[in-house]
Amino acid sequence: MISFPRLTKRQFVQSMIAGIAAGTAAGLPRTALAAGETIRIGFLAPLTGDVAAWGLPGLQGCEIWAEWINEAGGIVINGVGHNIEFVGYDNEYDPSKARAGASKLVIDDGVKFVMMLGGDTWPAVQPVADQTGMLFSTLLPSDLGPDTPTLIAPAEVHPIYNVTGVEWLAENYPELKTAVICAQDDALGLPSVATYLAAFEGAGIEMLEDPLLFDPSTTDFAPVATRMLSSDPDIICLDTCYSAYVHPLMEQLFQQGYEGQIISCTLDFYDQITAKTSVEFMEGVVFQFPDFDDPALEADNVNFRDPGKFFDEFNERYPGQWGAVSWEYAAIMDLWKWAAEKANSVEPADVLAAMTETGQGEHIFGTADWWGEDLFGINNSLVGNWPVVVVENGTARIKEFRSIPDWYARHGDLLKQYMTDYGLMWNQR
Amino acid sequence: MPRWLVAVGVLATAALLLALPHVLSFSQREVLVFMTINILVVCSYRLLTLTGEWSLGHVVMMGVGAYASALLAKKVGVFVPLAMLLGAFTAAMVALVLSVPLFRMKGFYFLIGSFAAGEIIRLLWKRFRDPFGGPKGIKRIDPMPDFDLGIWNFTFFDPVSYYYFALLVVLAGLFVMWRVEKSPIGLVFHAVHWQDNLARSAGISVRAYRTLALVLSSGFAGLAGALLAHYIGTVNPNMFDIEQMVYVLTWAIVGGTATFYGPIIGCVVLTVVNEIVLREIGLEQGRPMIYGMLLIGTVLFLPKGLEDLFHRLSRIGLLFSRQPRGGQ
Repeated sequence: MISFPRLTKRQFVQSMIAGIAAGTAAGLPRTALAAGETIRIGFLAPLTGDVAAWGLPGLQGCEIWAEWINEAGGIVINGVGHNIEFVGYDNEYDPSKARAGASKLVIDDGVKFVMMLGGDTWPAVQPVADQTGMLFSTLLPSDLGPDTPTLIAPAEVHPIYNVTGVEWLAENYPELKTAVICAQDDALGLPSVATYLAAFEGAGIEMLEDPLLFDPSTTDFAPVATRMLSSDPDIICLDTCYSAYVHPLMEQLFQQGYEGQIISCTLDFYDQITAKTSVEFMEGVVFQFPDFDDPALEADNVNFRDPGKFFDEFNERYPGQWGAVSWEYAAIMDLWKWAAEKANSVEPADVLAAMTETGQGEHIFGTADWWGEDLFGINNSLVGNWPVVVVENGTARIKEFRSIPDWYARHGDLLKQYMTDYGLMWNQR
Repeated sequence: MPRWLVAVGVLATAALLLALPHVLSFSQREVLVFMTINILVVCSYRLLTLTGEWSLGHVVMMGVGAYASALLAKKVGVFVPLAMLLGAFTAAMVALVLSVPLFRMKGFYFLIGSFAAGEIIRLLWKRFRDPFGGPKGIKRIDPMPDFDLGIWNFTFFDPVSYYYFALLVVLAGLFVMWRVEKSPIGLVFHAVHWQDNLARSAGISVRAYRTLALVLSSGFAGLAGALLAHYIGTVNPNMFDIEQMVYVLTWAIVGGTATFYGPIIGCVVLTVVNEIVLREIGLEQGRPMIYGMLLIGTVLFLPKGLEDLFHRLSRIGLLFSRQPRGGQ
């Protein structure tokens, strides 16, 4: 067997990577790109299973993005255009498979950047990021921490943006004074619960009951809806429930005669919910993820190429699949492309430095700050404005873009308190 | 079979197992580590099935070992290999406690009872954030400490090093289980399965032997869980849910449980097909469907599992000349 010299872990792994590269010509990280060489980007998310709705539409959106970029000459590094290719890996939202997938993408496939959903799968991937120095992105900034400076949350600061919906509701409907909330008891549901509790308290809305946390394996939502309705709230909050929960919950609320206000983080495939309930029932539901044919996205501050055309193209190719993440990974790629071209390099460290060097970045919804030390121990989340979306006549429309940092300046202590109460601060992990 | 042929076979297998990671890509080595650990899980499951009882709580026992080992290493500072052994012991002890109510049932009722018991344990992990971490589970679990043997520097981020370590542990576990099955205890397990009334009439405590099988199988499942936890650095309740249990059942059913090697064949074949072949040929999103079709096809055309294919081949002299013992 081979006897390795005494090396640090990172040196050991990097030497091993180099050895594999020499042996397999697998296209592993290099210091210079060959002329016209295709740049590979990793996509590590659930593509099958219960959480696939937050992975697969993102990959589909990225494939459209790549086609558009490649047709326009690709990403330009040192004056030479390079095509982009996405390499997907279905991690099934399983930590073991996520680790194997991260190794495949980074070491075997030689990708230059890996996008993840994050959550339960991130802790198993973290050693791969730490050992290889690869740049990873997550949609869930609760994954962020000072131990891994190469993990960023550049698109979605879940669940902090939920405060914008509550604040908008409180300002526009001051007669709404009470609320209840339900959520699945997991890594996505709980940070969102803490955020909504802070937002409701900040808006002066009273919580009638403790959050109703249900098991992720729940299939019968009638008792959940009944329990929430029993306290006769003005607002029912569906937190960040998966679409597999939002749909039956909405159906149950409709069937049990609820006529009050509903707020939810996501409302994926809301047309299907409308078909099962009614246009009247859905009227006024507040959530956070717009359709991209929304006229508000044509504004100059929106950093996304032709959102309406993207929406149409997506729906033509993947009818009925548009959801919260359809555009998010593509938006991350816009930022990555901007930073890579600025750095004239696709090496992870160079791109990260270019992204963050001014302390600001071009977020899809406008210029935003690299932020988060208070909550995550590191300023690796890009935070600025976020849209408040309301269903009107069966169509989701952006009512307003609201500033997350402005809310945090007023109510940040509340958020930190609730995050601490739920053991979600970075130093409590 | 001549002894020299057995010796040659053992040496060839050992050489193959040692050389295997060096012909695989980095990510395939990761899959190899998980597959090695899963072989211990599915073989320990078979040990329980020898007594005729099929459980739906086996992966939860794996989780008990994983959680116990993770907590002992992280909160108490126990040396990781010792924590793994204590994790296995904890799983065995939990199984011993659970055996009291569970073995008041048998057959289908035991199956449902084991599922309920497993769900209770999973709910406890979710409910008690301290110390189990709630739904998010435990993160940053201490890895196996690196060490240098002179001829090999064991750096446990490297899947090759962890594969060798896991292989050693799993082979030791398989050897113990094999010895148990071939011992008089194993014969009693079979008797309890097929002729429990006759066994009782011979003075055998059927319940005690069922308990012994449950405790042993849970202990090895717990050891597998500990191996997994210290490799990936995280555990959460969803890792040990009914979906994972279905995987274990599938490996056992597709491979067959009549022989010691049946579940190993099932685990290896299905893992390679699911994690390597289907991914490599670009059927990433079609895997659940193809996996299901494979299961249905095996049940229809090889109802005794893939091991039956080996039997048939051996009968025509292409493979082993000896029939397995202790079939169903």
